[in-house]
This record gives sequence, C-alpha cells and structure tokens, in this order.
Amino acid sequence: MADGVQVLRRNRPGSKAKDFCRWPDEPFEEMDSTLAVQQFIQQTIRRDPANLEAILKMPEAQDEGVWKYEHLRQFCMELNGLAVRLQSECKPETCTQMTATEQWIFLCAAHKTPKECPAIDYTRHTLDGAACLLNSNKYFPSRVSIKESSVAKLGSVCRRVYRIFSHAYFHHRSIFDAFEKETHLCKRFTYFVTKYSIISKEILILPKLDDETPITQPVGESEA
Amino acid sequence: MKIPTAMDDSSVSHHNGGQVGSQIGVSVNNKQNDEPSQSVQYSIPGILHFIQHEWARFELERSQWEVDRAEFEARIAFLEGERKGQENLKNDLVRRIKMLEYALKQERAKFHKLKYGVELQQGDVRPPPKEPPAEPEPAERAQWKQGRQLIKQYLQEIGYTDTILDVRSNRVRNLLGLNNEEQVEDPYRNYDKNELYGLLQREIRTGGKEQRKGGVPPGGVYNEEGLSVQETAAVFANFEFLANQEMDMDEIDDLDAKQPHHASGKQGEEVDHEAEEVLNELNMLTESEADGGGQGDEYPVVKLSGSTASQASAVAAGAAAGGAGEADEEPLALGELAQLTVSNEPEAYDVASANKESFRKTWNAKYTLRSHFDGVRALAFHPTEAALVTASEDHTLKLWNLQRTVPAKKSAGLDVEPLYTFRAHTAPVLCLAMGAPRSEECFSGGLDGTIRVWNLPAPTADPYDPYDPAVQGPVLRDHTDAVWSLAASHGRLLSASADGTARVWAPRAPRPLLATLRDEQAATPPAPAAADFADAASRAAVVYRDGSLLLYDLETGQAVLRVSCDSAATRVRSHPTLPILVTAHEDRHIRFWDAVSGRCAHAMVAHLDAVTGLALDPNGLFLLSGSHDCSVRLWNLDTKTCVQEITAHRKKFDESILDVAFHPLRPYIASAGADGLAKVFV
Repeated sequence: MADGVQVLRRNRPGSKAKDFCRWPDEPFEEMDSTLAVQQFIQQTIRRDPANLEAILKMPEAQDEGVWKYEHLRQFCMELNGLAVRLQSECKPETCTQMTATEQWIFLCAAHKTPKECPAIDYTRHTLDGAACLLNSNKYFPSRVSIKESSVAKLGSVCRRVYRIFSHAYFHHRSIFDAFEKETHLCKRFTYFVTKYSIISKEILILPKLDDETPITQPVGESEA
Repeated sequence: MKIPTAMDDSSVSHHNGGQVGSQIGVSVNNKQNDEPSQSVQYSIPGILHFIQHEWARFELERSQWEVDRAEFEARIAFLEGERKGQENLKNDLVRRIKMLEYALKQERAKFHKLKYGVELQQGDVRPPPKEPPAEPEPAERAQWKQGRQLIKQYLQEIGYTDTILDVRSNRVRNLLGLNNEEQVEDPYRNYDKNELYGLLQREIRTGGKEQRKGGVPPGGVYNEEGLSVQETAAVFANFEFLANQEMDMDEIDDLDAKQPHHASGKQGEEVDHEAEEVLNELNMLTESEADGGGQGDEYPVVKLSGSTASQASAVAAGAAAGGAGEADEEPLALGELAQLTVSNEPEAYDVASANKESFRKTWNAKYTLRSHFDGVRALAFHPTEAALVTASEDHTLKLWNLQRTVPAKKSAGLDVEPLYTFRAHTAPVLCLAMGAPRSEECFSGGLDGTIRVWNLPAPTADPYDPYDPAVQGPVLRDHTDAVWSLAASHGRLLSASADGTARVWAPRAPRPLLATLRDEQAATPPAPAAADFADAASRAAVVYRDGSLLLYDLETGQAVLRVSCDSAATRVRSHPTLPILVTAHEDRHIRFWDAVSGRCAHAMVAHLDAVTGLALDPNGLFLLSGSHDCSVRLWNLDTKTCVQEITAHRKKFDESILDVAFHPLRPYIASAGADGLAKVFV
C-alpha cells in the first residue's frame, strides 16, 4: 500500500467514538485483503448511509455472488440494531406471533419443526440462524468466491429477514421509523433485493418508503 | 561309555581270535567274545545297534543344544529389552531431576522476591543466584544447601527403586554393551552360530561333569550359581581359544578331558580382565557388585550379568564378597545423582531449558469460532468451563461452548456454533471481562459508552430458546465516550474509557460507581487505552494513549506511580503473582515494569507491527501476545523468549489480531481477529 506508511486504518484503543473508523477512504482497487468487499461496503455506508446508489453500485470485475453475500452480511449485522430496539418493546405477551399484516403468521424456521415463535424470538432466531448460515464453513467457506448453489441460499435468508422489517413497520412503527431514519436500512434492503431480484415483488409488502412523504398509516393490503 | 568298552573288546578280540571255535553259543552269551571270534568279526546287528545308539545319543544332545540355544536367545532378548527399559528409566529420572531443578529455581525466585520485595529483574531468573548467595549472608547459602539436600531427599524417596534399577541398568549395559559388543559379537561374526552354541553347551556339560567327577564344589550339585559361573567362564574362555581349536565333533572325548582344565585355568585370567574392566568403568559400582551378584542369584534370568558381576566381585574382593554393599548402596546411588546435579551447576540451565523445549507443548488451532459479522474485538474464557464469550464490532457478544461442536469439513479443526447471542449494545463492543467463578456473569463495554452486565446462560442452553430478558443485567452509563478496556477482580470492575477516565465499579450495587481515576497532573487528560487490577485488586494500572503508565491506589484514588515511555500503549496486564506490569505498545514493543520501583525491567521488540493483545497464563509463566502483524506469539516469561508463533488471522484494513486470552484453568488459548473469527488453540 502506497499510503500505508502514513495512513494506518486502525481503531486504536482509547480513541474516541467519533473517531472510530474515521480514516481516509481507500480505493477499492488498492484493497488487497480477502475482506476487501466488506471493507468497501462499510466504507461507502459510513460515507453516506442514505446514498443507496453509491452503496449498491458494484465495482467492476466484482464477483456478483460475493457482492450479494457481503451485502446480506452487512444487512444482518445492522439488523441487530433493530433487534436491540425491538427487545425493549416487542414482548412475547403482546406479540405472541410473528405477524406483519393480520393476514400472515410466519413460522420460525430455526427449529426442527417450524413453530409459531413470538415475534421477538422469531427475530432473534432468524438473525442467529442467518449468522450461522452466512458463516457456515460448509456453504460459505470463502469470502472471495462463492458457489452458485450457495448463492441460492441467500434468497431464503432475505425473505425471512424482510419479515423483521415488516413486523417492526406494522407493529412497532416508532422504533422502525427511528431506526430507519438513522440507518436507511429498510430502504437499502428493498433496493438491494429488487435490484438483484432476490425476492419477488409481491412479497415486498411494505409500502415504498420515502423520506419526504412518510407514510403514516399502514397499508393493509396483502398479496394473497 | 559304550564306545570305550567296544573298543577295548575289539582290542581284546585279537587275542581271542587265536582260539578256536566256541562259536554261536558264546556269541549269544557275550558279544565281546562273539566279535573277536571272526577276527574283526563285527556282526551287522551289533554295528547297527552301535550306530543306532550313537545316533540316538547325538540326537538327544542336539535337541538339548537346541533347547539351550533357544533359552540363550530368549535371555539375550530379555536382557536387551531390559537394557532399553533401563535407559528409558534413566532418561525419565534425568528429566525429573531437571524438573525439580526448575521448581527449585522458581522457588528461589519467589524466595528472592519475598526477601527483597523487588527483585526478579533477574526476572530472567535464568542464570540463577550464583551471585545472590555469594553476596548475602551465609544463612542464605545454608538455606540453599538445605534446599539441595531436600531435593536429594525427594529424589531418594521418589527414585529409590529407580536408582537401584538405574545402577543395575548401568551394569547390564556395561556388561552387555561393552563386553558383549567386544567379545561376544566378534566371535559371532567369526563362527557359525550353531557351532558356537554347540561348543558353549559342551562346555557347560563338561563343566558339570567335572564338578561331579572331581567333586570340586561341595555336594556336586548343579546349583544356579555354579552353573552360571561355569557357563560364563566357559563362554569367555571359549571365545578366547576357540580360534585355536580346529577340532570337529568327533573329538568330543578329547575335549571332555581337556576343556575343564583350560576353562578353569583361563577363567582366572579372563575374569580378572573382566573385573578390571568393570571396575574401571563403573568405579563406584564395586560395593554394589556383591549385591548385584546376589541379585543374579535371585533372578536367574539375569544370570549372565549377575554371575559375571559376582565373578568380578569374587576376584576383586576375594572370597569376602559379603554384605559390604547394603549400607553404601544409597549414598552410591545418590552420589551418582548428586554428581549429576552438581555437574549441572555451570551449564545445567541451558540443558534444562533445552530439555524443556523438547518437552514443551505446542499449541495447535482446534476450534474456529465463526458467527460474527465483523471483527472480534475481545474475548474472555469462562472461569471454569470450556466456554468463552466473544465481543464484536457487529454490536453483539456471543457465548460459545467448546464441547458442543459441529464437525467441520476440513479435518483440521472443529467449528463451534454460538450458544447465545447477547444483543443490547448499539455500537461495536470493544472490551469484555469475565466475572468471578460461579458468579456466571460477564461485562462488556462498547463504543456507545455503556458497560453492560450479563448473566451467562447455562452452557447447555439452546441457541433457539425463547428470549429471556433476565440475561441482561445492570447497565453502567457514567462513561461519556467509548469504553475500551475492562478488568474484573474481587467483585469489582475497572474500566478505561476514551472520556479520559478510568472507573472502578461494584457492578451490581445500587450505586455502582466507586471511584473515578483521572490523571490530575495532565492539563488535558490523555485517553486511557487499557486498565488492569494489580496487587490483589488494591491498585489499578492504567496505560494511556501518550504512553504513560499510572498506578492508582484504589483506597485513595491517587496515582502512586507514574512512568512514561514514548510509544502509545495498547494494553496492560499485571502479573498474577509478581509485582510486574506488562504493557503492549504500538512501537512493536512489550515492556515489563517493576510495579514497586517503576523501573523498566525489560523491553523487547515482540512483533513486526503494533502489539494489540496481551494475556498472562494463570501461573505467570507464559505470556501471550497478538499483533496487527497477524501473529500470535507465546513467550516464556522466564527467558523472555518466544516459544511459539502462530499466524492466526487475516487483515481487515490494517487491523488483524485484536485480543488474545488464556483459559484460567484449562489448556486453551484463544485469539480474536478483525476478520470476524475467533480461534481456540489446544
């Protein structure tokens, strides 16, 4: 690295929170690490989390499977933030089932036989399961190249993860809004799955999110 | 017996031949008379009978030899086996001595420390108190000697039988290794085995006969001792002049007559040589020879050695091979050992360390902990179980049970799936501390400025159990910036934060904040990078971004020691037993500080890049360090040498390894990396 002597992109113990990861951007071409894609994605998000175009603009000559995989990792990681917020409000007593609109009850797939977990458990289990799958040595042994069959696994993760957004949207709207304002995560996710056609459109039950005209009432329509 | 008589008769027969007649009747009556009657008149049946008889005799002898040969072979094998066993035993003993010496060394260091409070800047305890005992009063010297005596005593207790065996093994080795190699093996090369054994056997037989005939030994009984003496004597004698003997099997008779004399005559000289050799070689063994001879009697299997030894003793000490040994036995054995240790003095420590090197365990990666989405900033082992907690920049902590593994595809390691994911931080988790044993709690500090107390779920929990809010304990929110370091000890928690303070907490108390430690002298307080309890949690060591190290007294909250160096510090750990502080620095150094005087006891370039992780093993013998150069290194604290290097993690940006840890009880070490993985080595 040419600038490696001057710029060490490190978080040194004792640095202030505002300085965390505050270093000059590194051009993607100069990243020689196996984690280059993750580095690049995180770097772009840090620059402006609202700039979906920039975040999801795949560098040239980048393997698309890895690109999608790394983005999904990033989504799941950031979704922890939403889960943390939900933990304080989404109680098993109030949200006994994972529902979005009233039409759908989602069964938690983390168990041997899928079962009706309360929403908060569903959320946690889904994220834990996704963490396991995405870190599985069997399906994703490398972060540089990914088998086609493993890329196919991303779809089901995306579908389940999307339900977390929808539950938060329909049942814990204030949390959702606060979180979305900060991270633009749902917007980015929707953009992502649409761009790469990972989830079919009719499953995307959330109304189009727009900062300028936030939708105030949930739209109750469903796909079936 | 038959041959001579037949011959005699035949000679007589000529005489009788002259006489006429007396034909068949006589021959029936008396063979002798029958044969001569035809003047060299051998009857076919007679000859046949004779030949048959001879044949049977030879057959008998042959089988006897065969049996004896097998016996000898077995004996040789046995002795060889025993020799090997003894050698192993000896090695083991030597190792034990080395270990004891090492322990003594440690004790000395401790004693020294207690005595002078400070010491152990000879922390390189290595070239140990050569000087110390010289300078200080003779009392210490006496104590030193006492210690040596004590160790001798231990050795005696532990190795009593071993020493005997050792002595014996020496003897056996000498006899087998030296004599046999020189004398036995040469003849083996020269003579065909069968012949050799045949001769051997004959010797024995004739020896036995001799005894019976001449009645030399009282009773003329074939007792073990007698046989074996004869036997070995014969062996050695035989080997000597076998070369001269070109006789074949037909000359047995002659042999019968001659051999015993030769044997007995030679025996004297031979044995003299023997004895001299043995005595020269095993100077100190003389006393025990008699004893050894006794043993030879007791264990017929070692006849060869035993009897030779007894010969030696017989020659050396004459017939007075009484019980001189017994009393001297132990001093002798110990004398040998003492010699060993004494001779160790000058260079022993190199030998010891070299030995240790070869016996040292090497750590191998066994478990890979993959489940974090981003760099793992910290990890801590469970105080007792084979479990650990990791803290990551992905805002979560995860609990892992190493005994619940998923067989990985590659045989190299095992994958572990997390048991539980702790979610509450709203920013990267930066540091982690494990609570006391049985408290089943851990603490984490994050970039969000909070310190969280967690109640650890049981190690048997299922990752997909329902959410239990009780896992979350109290939250400590006094810090106003990122919390970078945590240490727990004696129920208290020490934190270091980028807000410029280090704080002491009683985490579960209603008013948890006990003290705020701040460098009062600095106008703009530098940010602490790390902190650790020292001196049984009565003090707190805090290192700062500007490289300074402050030791606070927790009673007063005042800094009692202040040292500084040029390079930003990243970690500090206090030695579990000695007043030593170890700091890691960005300039690739690890530095050792005397916690009393503040002197820099040692500084070493430890890595190729900034040192980021430090851990001391619970006994304070080893130091583990991690660095952005992607390697984990294990150091011998005694010699300050690197004993193992492991390349463990990949880089993310310019970060690599972020933390290392020792399990407080079990043989596990672990490293955490910016690549989102944690690895456990066994």
